[in-house]
Amino acid sequence: MLVNDLGYLLPLIIVAGGAVVLMLLSPVERFSMERFSLFTFLILLGALGADLFYFGELFTAFPMQELFSKMLIVDSYSVYFDALILSGALVTSLIGTHYFQTKRHFKKEVFSLFLFSVFGMMLLVHANELLTAFIALEIASLSLYVMIGFQKIHDKRVEASYQYLVLGSISGAFFLLGSAMMYAGLGTTILGDIGKALDVQMGKDVSLIIIGATFILVTFLFKISAFPFQNWTIDVYDGSPLPVTAFMAATFKVAIFGFVLRLMLIDLDPIRDIWDTLFVVVILATLLYGTFLAIIQESLKRMLAASSIVHTGYLLIAFVSIGYAGESASSSIIFYLVAYFLSAMGAFGLISYIAADEHVRVTYEDFRGFAHVHPYMAAMLSVFMLSLAGIPSTIGFVGKFYIFTGAIEAGYTFLAVCGIIATFISIYYYFKLIALMYFYPACEKEGAMIPTLSGITPITIGVIAIAVIWGGIGNTFIAYFPGVDFLIDTARLSYMSLFIK
Amino acid sequence: MLFDLGGGLMNIGILSIIIFLPMVVALFLMVAPFSSRITRNAAFGVSLTIFALALYIYTHFELTGTLQFKEVYPWIKSYGISYSLGIDGFSLIILMLIATLIPSAYLLLWNNARSKSYWISMLFIQSGISGTLFSLDLFLFYFFWEAMLLPVFMIIGLFGSGNRVFSTLKITIYTIMGSLFMFVSILYLGVTHYYEFGVWSFALSDLVNITTIAREQKILLFFGFMLAFAIKIPLFPFHSWLLQTYSNSPTGGVFLLSSIMAKLGVYALVRFMIPLFPDLFVEFSIYFVALGIFGLVYFGIAAICQMNIKKMFAYSSASHLGFITAGVFALNVQGMMGSAFLIVAHAIATGGLFLLVGVMERHLGIRSLSGLGGIATKAPWFTLFFAIMLFCTVGIPGTNGFVAELLIVLGIFHYNPYLGVLSALTVLVAASYMFWVFQKAVLVKSDNDVSNMKDLTLYEILGLLPLAVLIIAMGIYPDLFLYKIEPTLQHYLIDILHVGVK
Repeated sequence: MLVNDLGYLLPLIIVAGGAVVLMLLSPVERFSMERFSLFTFLILLGALGADLFYFGELFTAFPMQELFSKMLIVDSYSVYFDALILSGALVTSLIGTHYFQTKRHFKKEVFSLFLFSVFGMMLLVHANELLTAFIALEIASLSLYVMIGFQKIHDKRVEASYQYLVLGSISGAFFLLGSAMMYAGLGTTILGDIGKALDVQMGKDVSLIIIGATFILVTFLFKISAFPFQNWTIDVYDGSPLPVTAFMAATFKVAIFGFVLRLMLIDLDPIRDIWDTLFVVVILATLLYGTFLAIIQESLKRMLAASSIVHTGYLLIAFVSIGYAGESASSSIIFYLVAYFLSAMGAFGLISYIAADEHVRVTYEDFRGFAHVHPYMAAMLSVFMLSLAGIPSTIGFVGKFYIFTGAIEAGYTFLAVCGIIATFISIYYYFKLIALMYFYPACEKEGAMIPTLSGITPITIGVIAIAVIWGGIGNTFIAYFPGVDFLIDTARLSYMSLFIK
Repeated sequence: MLFDLGGGLMNIGILSIIIFLPMVVALFLMVAPFSSRITRNAAFGVSLTIFALALYIYTHFELTGTLQFKEVYPWIKSYGISYSLGIDGFSLIILMLIATLIPSAYLLLWNNARSKSYWISMLFIQSGISGTLFSLDLFLFYFFWEAMLLPVFMIIGLFGSGNRVFSTLKITIYTIMGSLFMFVSILYLGVTHYYEFGVWSFALSDLVNITTIAREQKILLFFGFMLAFAIKIPLFPFHSWLLQTYSNSPTGGVFLLSSIMAKLGVYALVRFMIPLFPDLFVEFSIYFVALGIFGLVYFGIAAICQMNIKKMFAYSSASHLGFITAGVFALNVQGMMGSAFLIVAHAIATGGLFLLVGVMERHLGIRSLSGLGGIATKAPWFTLFFAIMLFCTVGIPGTNGFVAELLIVLGIFHYNPYLGVLSALTVLVAASYMFWVFQKAVLVKSDNDVSNMKDLTLYEILGLLPLAVLIIAMGIYPDLFLYKIEPTLQHYLIDILHVGVK
């Protein structure tokens, strides 16, 4: 029995153990940065391998119940999210290799912090209890705070780190307060039990629980940078080292959604309708404000940060649809997370690769005529832009298709139309980059500083670019190779596992 | 079940080959280190192959109103989306049009499009166009409809003139805006189908069975689709992208935009709007006939006011598209047939004119009417083809333009006599400015220096010859084309709209 339980937790154990080992090894002079980045990669790969062992199976389990008493859950859903987080971390470590090696001020501790952060995110999707979730959230965030500010000679980094730390801690306090209120109202903080207790309470006064849950949702909205908690996003994303930005934008969002979906779908089911109007307002404001921010940006990194707010808006459209079209809306969130994750990872990763040496190529203007000098990089960047803009034959399009279908199915045609409007405005800021890259002659003065295509980072990004296109075209052409249908089916499966009693 | 991914390399039918051949060749040429000359020859070879395939389809096409050469394969199973293709009389003539026009255009661009990416973009556009034309699944249709735009974006941005980046962004945002509203409508139909029948499907043949949409929603959906098509056509008042795009596009781009992609807007109108919203189509027809005729007059007058030849033809093209739209909404077989005919006639004539303007622009670098004159003596072949295309546009008897306009006017007369009279009179507008252009730019000698003007080369003559022959052949013996399409149009009118053939 114990072996079985350990098997379930193996990915978590590998990552946490790896983090500790790397931390202990970091003062050892013998191991170089390169070595460390390889270790990190291997640890993550091992964890992913252990995770894939249960992938595609429909099950729910509470490992080591005597010890953890249902604090942790392992089911198809968490396995699916683990796979996402681990692939995100793997990709980050691959595209970060070049960055961390060229920027010499990074110390080896950064890899240990990185693994702790991954561990926190994984723990978050395994959390079956509000306080576990809080701890997981803090583990993930604290490591990120440090990673952001690692380059302490750089004021922008320190400021970003500090801003995220202060605001993040306040939002964390909201989570704690919300959990306390839930406990006061229901006498439990274990997911599943909350739902049962809430069912009993229905009809009586549940306002304390509603306030508590709203506080928890505030943290959620903060972490995914929805309106009105989006203000930190641009500065923090812009101030962070690019691989860290990529990691935050793509992977952290996955983890947060992983936990909140679980909470909303199982436990807060009876009172979910209360927030509907609130969410509609939040979505509209998020889309509007994010779009506005994205249009006015000059720097590419800030534009991507702002556009990530818009993508949060799309995700929230699916989120609010859950009440009326549960299965398709939640699997559409899961699918969209994959789609966004691939596109954003690719875009941030490629820009970080290009900008690794110095602060060249960071604004739109710097990319004028880029395609004539670096055709392959420009092509890849275009693919990611097209996917973010939701143009057919990319995975971003299929993602939007699911989100909007779910919204219409739930009766939120109005929201779907608003999402569509945001989409076509987004064409402007994504296509502007493509236009600048292709339609102007190259103005070459700092071209020599851009690394040529070699090494592991470009290969990773190339693979992501192919995955983005493959995800949009599907599996009609080659048999037995996972395509769109596969992603949807597994997303559905992981959704189903939430409801195993 | 989860890992049963199905699919596999399927048996590819002729329609798939037409769609994917250019794309595959383009992808290959893109990575392979070939020169632009080899790329061009390959592109031309592809277009000839497609012409041969199209001829095969044409000769094997049965005279019924049904869809033929069908191919159906599941694509995204969980949402009932399939890769389904088919062709009926209406798509057949557009297929023939593409198959004939594109090789011709290539011949005219033969020595002048020196860049590899120009040809690659053209190949991609051809794939997108064919895909849009054959799709029977609305999701697939939307897929190609949007995908078609990207190479257009590239070709204008890379090879256009003037403020090309702004024009590309403008046309892209503008057309995507329209298409996205269509996208919402498509999704809405899909969801409604799911609620009504319990299964997902985006196939046109399934979506037409939906009965549970309230009238208000239906009207919104109707206009969601209509917006996308109206922008593509472009119908007044959705034309504001037109002028800049046409005048800043390179010859190949403007040719494809005006002679083929605009027609796809009309095609989609017939193919999707009529079966999906038959009653609304009938109900709102009066507005669209009126709007079409208004566009005809409005763009005609706008064309008169233009001194820039390319812009003038852009407006004249839009003016004819208004006419085509009016014919489609006239709800009788003459009007529809006329529209189908004018689609072909206009594509050939306007396409030819834009190609000739491209030639003129290359030699003289002038696009303003005031800088031209007396070209006829320098370039007799040019003059001859210019004249044939112009006559067709104006609708001189003996050209297919005449047959088309006659049929449409007849159709509108049947629909509403007042509008009929109006439309008959407006034909004069086109005649007036077209002859004026011909006289001023080509015939009459002026002080302007046109000594740089050279006559057409052999390639260019070869390219234009089929077009000229078609114009006259279709003008003299219209039945050659009409008999293939008539059953389809009657099927639309009688079976779907329940409007008898008057």
